[in-house]
Amino acid sequence: MDRQEAIEYLLDHYEHPRNHGALDAADVVMPGGNPSCGDVVTLYLAVDATTDTVARLMFEGQGCTISQAAASILTELAAGRTLDDIEAMDFNDMIDLLGREVVNTRPRCATLALGTLKAAVARYRRRGTTDGAS
Amino acid sequence: MSDYAHPEALVDTAWVAAHLDDAAVRIVECDEDVLLYDQGHIPGAIKLDWVGDLNDPVIRDYLDGERFAALCGSRGISNDTTVVLYGDRHNWWATYALWVFKLFGHRDVRIMNGGRARWIAEQRPLTRDIPQHSEAVYRVAVRDDQRIRAFRDEVRAHIGQPGAALVDVRSPQEYTGERTHMPEYPQEGTLRGGHIPTAVSVPWARAVNDDSTFRSREELEQLYGALGVTNDRDVITYCRIGERSSHTWFVLTYLLGYPQVRNYDGSWTEWGNGVGLPIARGAHP
Repeated sequence: MDRQEAIEYLLDHYEHPRNHGALDAADVVMPGGNPSCGDVVTLYLAVDATTDTVARLMFEGQGCTISQAAASILTELAAGRTLDDIEAMDFNDMIDLLGREVVNTRPRCATLALGTLKAAVARYRRRGTTDGAS
Repeated sequence: MSDYAHPEALVDTAWVAAHLDDAAVRIVECDEDVLLYDQGHIPGAIKLDWVGDLNDPVIRDYLDGERFAALCGSRGISNDTTVVLYGDRHNWWATYALWVFKLFGHRDVRIMNGGRARWIAEQRPLTRDIPQHSEAVYRVAVRDDQRIRAFRDEVRAHIGQPGAALVDVRSPQEYTGERTHMPEYPQEGTLRGGHIPTAVSVPWARAVNDDSTFRSREELEQLYGALGVTNDRDVITYCRIGERSSHTWFVLTYLLGYPQVRNYDGSWTEWGNGVGLPIARGAHP
């Protein structure tokens, strides 16, 4: 993906966000924020407890093009993945996926959604321990 | 705009529209959102990224003279070019870029009143075409950190001095110490909240109208003068990293003609983390 293709990819997700909105059936609602430029996202994570996979991931948010496009892309990327997969996802891989040449000056914008998703998974696991759920 | 002290520092959208093909003018978009330019920009405008282009990649500082000259030359800007900056968020980042250009003494740099929002509201043309401007020669200029830039120790010495004024342009919640960042923005790692003692609170966006144009000179004089920030004062402005305060620096310097205004770009991310620096909390200076 060259620079222009990466820009088009990001703009498409920014202008037509996938999985955008609140999810009533979420197991975890996790807000996240980027201190450098004011991007905020809230992720709604629903987990299939029988397989420990992401059943549905939706988001709401506001902020710059990169942060919001990255959240949209992540909702597609994470669907069906195991929670172990999510925990293993690498921030550098996310930057490469978005187009390093385009987002490399805004790494925190690019990884805000992934960091928030990892936090959501951690909260889900902690809650499972606390509640005695599987 | 003719009522302002230095009306030449400001152009309106019609002026820009009439100078799109003027070789002596370079239109420059500088946004907080780094991909707004790619979604559409003024025909012929180039992009300047406040993170990637203006800052040193390692040290918390701006480019030196040689790198600034190389940046300008590569974008087709010479020392004699009229640079017109515009951007998102009421020209917040455009004024920041203008302040950096002035650190290097660029003679003719201006702001498009109303910024990107007004250009779009007037349904003026946008393009996604990237212009190819010929490289220019930009003579290296030494960055002057004395005249319009203030450092931490200078700010500390400024507190309580006769004739001095400190202007905190952050939100009221940041000023009082309730927050360390703007409302609706996440909290961040500044260790202490509050404001620099004796600083008055004038949030930066009070200087603009709803359409992102600057308020009238009379309104601006009332806004700042009512709090003792008058043109006979030695003024230092600050915010969180010096970007919002560059907006107020522009207003005081060019629209009101105050002769001595500096911007403290270390701002609260330095002061609020500084060991032993005095801090005031609450709604009063």
